[in-house]
Amino acid sequence: MTTQNTTQTVSFADGTAPVGDTAVFEIFIKATAERVWAAITDPEQRAKYSFGVQTHSDWTPGSSYTASVPGVVDIASGENVVVEPPTADNQRGLLVQTFNALWSDEIRAQGTTRVTWEIEPVGDSCRLTVVHDQLPPTANAELYGGWPMILSGLKTLLETGELLTTPGSLMYQGG
Amino acid sequence: MEAAADLVFKALADHTRRDLLDALYAHDGQTLTALEERVPMTRFGVMKHLKVLEEAGLVVTRKRGREKLHFLNPVPIRLIHDRWVSKYAEPWAASLSALKADLEES
Repeated sequence: MTTQNTTQTVSFADGTAPVGDTAVFEIFIKATAERVWAAITDPEQRAKYSFGVQTHSDWTPGSSYTASVPGVVDIASGENVVVEPPTADNQRGLLVQTFNALWSDEIRAQGTTRVTWEIEPVGDSCRLTVVHDQLPPTANAELYGGWPMILSGLKTLLETGELLTTPGSLMYQGG
Repeated sequence: MEAAADLVFKALADHTRRDLLDALYAHDGQTLTALEERVPMTRFGVMKHLKVLEEAGLVVTRKRGREKLHFLNPVPIRLIHDRWVSKYAEPWAASLSALKADLEES
């Protein structure tokens, strides 16, 4: 058992982090690795499935990034630790980022976590895995709870060109 | 998309597999050995059910050191929600919110 050395119950249900401080999100998208990479790194495309939030960076290793709805709310900032876009020779893509969530005081107090994007071609599709780890023992579920909606929207955008319109998915897109 | 949804619905149509998902929901990132203690079943039985959950994408495994950890992947359930549940549930929820707003104003 992995929990016997901790006294606190950690669970999604309690809004606390999973054991091992890691949450894993996986999705298959019928698109090339290059298109998936572009959808993650292009601010216009990114905003379409990330609640209207644009992410800006020059995407070089060691560069910084910011994610915000300008004039409305700052969402996150951090460093691009590993930046390996898929190429003609190597279709696997890897992006490792530090993640400082900024959208509320409570969420800011969670400190720095890490987000890893892995793209792996499988047949005519790609497996995209987002690993959000280095979560604090009492992580607020809000910190990592948005990934399923974001990834669902990314799949919809790349496969149909359309926007996901479930409640919340267009949270900041009114303006 | 429909084939993927079939796998998810089939995986969810078994109470042991739902119990395993609940065990991971309560406590993510468990080994096979830890999961065996959560359901009254042999190691082989648990492995068989985990395989069905993995094929549906509901469970994702990651190696950590020498251990293979099982994580709940909520994304396929979100996809089903976006494709099916929201279509039927949302107009209903929207009219209830409108009613609530009307009542609160009067």
